[in-house]
This record gives sequence, C-alpha cells and structure tokens, in this order.
Amino acid sequence: MTTLDTLNETFKSCRPQLKSYILRMTASVEDTEDIVQETYLKAHKNLESFRGDSSLKTWIFTIASNLARDFLRAKKRWPENVTDICKEAALSNRQFFQEMMEIRTTSPQGDFEIREHITFCFTCIAKSLPIEQQLCLLLKEIYAFQVSEIAQILDKSEAMIKYYLHTARSKMTAIFDHRCALINKEGVCHQCTELNGIFNPKQKVQEELMKIEMVRAAGQKDKATLFDLRLEIVRAIDPFESGAAALQLHHLTHNKAVMDKYLEEK
Amino acid sequence: MRQIQILLFIMTTTVSAFAQTGKASTIKKTFSRQTSVSVRIAADREVIWALLTNADDFPRWNSTILKMEGDIAQGEKISLVSTLDITRTFKLKVKKLAPETEMVWTDGAAPFFKGLRTYTLTANPDGSSTFSMSEKIGGLMFPMAAKHIPDFDASFEKFAADLKQEAEIIQHSNQ
Repeated sequence: MTTLDTLNETFKSCRPQLKSYILRMTASVEDTEDIVQETYLKAHKNLESFRGDSSLKTWIFTIASNLARDFLRAKKRWPENVTDICKEAALSNRQFFQEMMEIRTTSPQGDFEIREHITFCFTCIAKSLPIEQQLCLLLKEIYAFQVSEIAQILDKSEAMIKYYLHTARSKMTAIFDHRCALINKEGVCHQCTELNGIFNPKQKVQEELMKIEMVRAAGQKDKATLFDLRLEIVRAIDPFESGAAALQLHHLTHNKAVMDKYLEEK
Repeated sequence: MRQIQILLFIMTTTVSAFAQTGKASTIKKTFSRQTSVSVRIAADREVIWALLTNADDFPRWNSTILKMEGDIAQGEKISLVSTLDITRTFKLKVKKLAPETEMVWTDGAAPFFKGLRTYTLTANPDGSSTFSMSEKIGGLMFPMAAKHIPDFDASFEKFAADLKQEAEIIQHSNQ
C-alpha cells in the first residue's frame, strides 16, 4: 500500500515536470498552478484507490492530464499562425514592450535567448493540435513516457496513442517546415531573430544561430530529423526555471490573452 | 465429390485473395455504375477508422484528396476536393456511421442522380483488418451523364494503397 509519505515524495520530485507539462498545455501560469494544486488534492484524496497498476508518477500524470483535458475541452484550439496574430497585437501594444524591456533589465530571469524562444514557439504552435495529439506529443517527446504508459494515462489503446503521436509529429513537422525561417529559407516567421535584435542589439545573430544544432543542420537533414533536434531544445529547457523564464512567461501570458480574445471574436 | 470440394476450396480462396489485393473493379449498368476496392491492412481497425474519420488530416496521407472540411459524424455534411475533378467541391452527407465497422456518404438527389460511397472494415483472425470501399452512382439522369464521369478505378486503388501504407506505418511504428 502506498503511503502518504511516498506520494509526497513522488509528487515533490515530479512537480517541476508536471508544472511545465501543464503550462505547455494551458499556456497560463495561473491555470497551471490551479491544476497542479488540484492534482495533488485529488491524488491525496484517492490514494487508497491507487493499486500500483502503473508507477505513482504515471498515476499523478493521469490525474493531471484528465484535469487539463477537462479544463481545455470547451476551449477552441489555437490556429497554426498564432505567432503572426500575436506579433501583430504586440506591435500595437506599447505597454507590452515596455514591460518586456523592464523584465529584461531588472529580472534575474530576463535574458533573451533564441533557444528559449524556440521552446516558447513550440508551446504556442502545439496548441493548434487536437488536444489528444498535443498530450501524446508532450508526454512522449518531452517527458519521455512510453507508449504503454501514455495509453494508461489517456485510457486509450497503444495503437491509438501511436496514431496520435504519428499525426502530431507529421503536423508539427509540416508547420515548422513551412513557417520557421531557422530551418527553411522560405519560412515566413523570423520572430526569434527579430526579438533577439531588440533584446540583444549587440549580439551577432548569425553567430548565435550557429550555436544551435538544428540551425546548423538545416538544409542537410530531413524535416523529421530537424523536428527531433527542435524537440531536444524543448526538452532541455524548464520554462519556469530557465534564465529567460520571466521574459518568456510574460510573453506567453500576452499570447494567451490575445488568443482568448481572437478566438472569442471569431 | 472430393475433387469438387477441392475445386470449390481453390476457387473460394482465389476469389477471397483477389478481393483483398487493392485492385479496383467496376460494374457498369444502364442506370448505374459501381466501383469497388478491397485491401487487407496489417493494422487495428481503430487506427484505420481514425484515419477515415479525421477530415482535416485526409490530404496529409491520402493523395487522392486535395481538401476536406467538416465533421465526419452521423448526419453531418462534409465538403471535399479530389484529384478526380480539382475544379469541383463535392458536398456530401454522412448518412450512416457505425464506428470501426461501416460508414456511408451520399450526394445528389434520387431518383435523378445519386452517389453512395460505402466504407466497411472487418477484423481478420490474424489481427489484420479488411478495408473495402465502393461507390455506386446512378439514377434516371445517369445514362446522359455517364460519359462525363471519369473512371474511378485508379483513384480507388490509390486511396486503398495510401490508407494501407499510412495505417501500417502507424501500427508498426516503434515509438
């Protein structure tokens, strides 16, 4: 029988992953805090029903995934061109840039790094996937759960998890290939290098870009490999703990507000 | 008697195997035409069904569909543009939908001209699935329109081959 101490210990050790997972689902710090808190309360309340069919961590992620899914079910998914829409809104919002500049100069987590922006961009674009696909992609590719574990978490067959994963990867690969100027010269989005010019005006952007393997590999590797290299970047960054966390979370809050309004009007 | 039994067995297995090879066939009549294709797919029915019922995703894996919009659900309307006629958007209705078993799409209006597209899935004992698709078009106006309607055989064969390839890639992916 699992004790409360074991639950507390496991919850404490997986809490950073859980928080970043829910943030990547909701794009909201506030909603993330609520869902993580509710996950703990539910796990605590139902601890006796945990039979050990999965690991305790998988069980905790199951509770969190169900809460996130229920929370997001009624909400519309973001469009693929979310960054274009939000950029336009930001350009007409002087306060947004003033706040960003203040964070950049005063916060210990106010650095701007292209890698950090790549992970931010991944979070925004992944919200254009159907929710099951987004969940599977994050659980498998970012949080390293096995297909069998994801099947338990989402209460689906392994075949369906493979379907969601395959479709999610195919869609995301195609979106980034079409949009991202870092991997495709014809890409329509240059936002990360533009922002780098604003926040790090003294940096030589080409030198910075060459530090990123995905950029160096562009033109040589196939689209799927470039997507894997993008996933490596995302995996390596905790959106709450990185050196750019304050700046990127502020940006994410802005994008969520813009998308909420955009989707409501639509 | 024994020889007849052997002959019947050979005939049955040959017909069955032929029916699942992905080769399309068409039966033409005065007031109708029916094209059918059937293929064995080494994948679970639920994966095949997911591919067949996700409209937005169709053009990604199916080279005969250029665009599809709508919700593939009982009673819903969908629109599609196919390689059979890229200038035309077909407006279809999902007349019947029995999950992982059968789905029927219709267009046109009886008795003048009506199209009926039927998809069926059956589970095989070896864990594979048999996918069949047929389209019957016909009606009082059919004899006049027949010469303007393109042949479906090649498109049906491509549809079945694409579905088989995509479903088997997913099923056997080592994620």
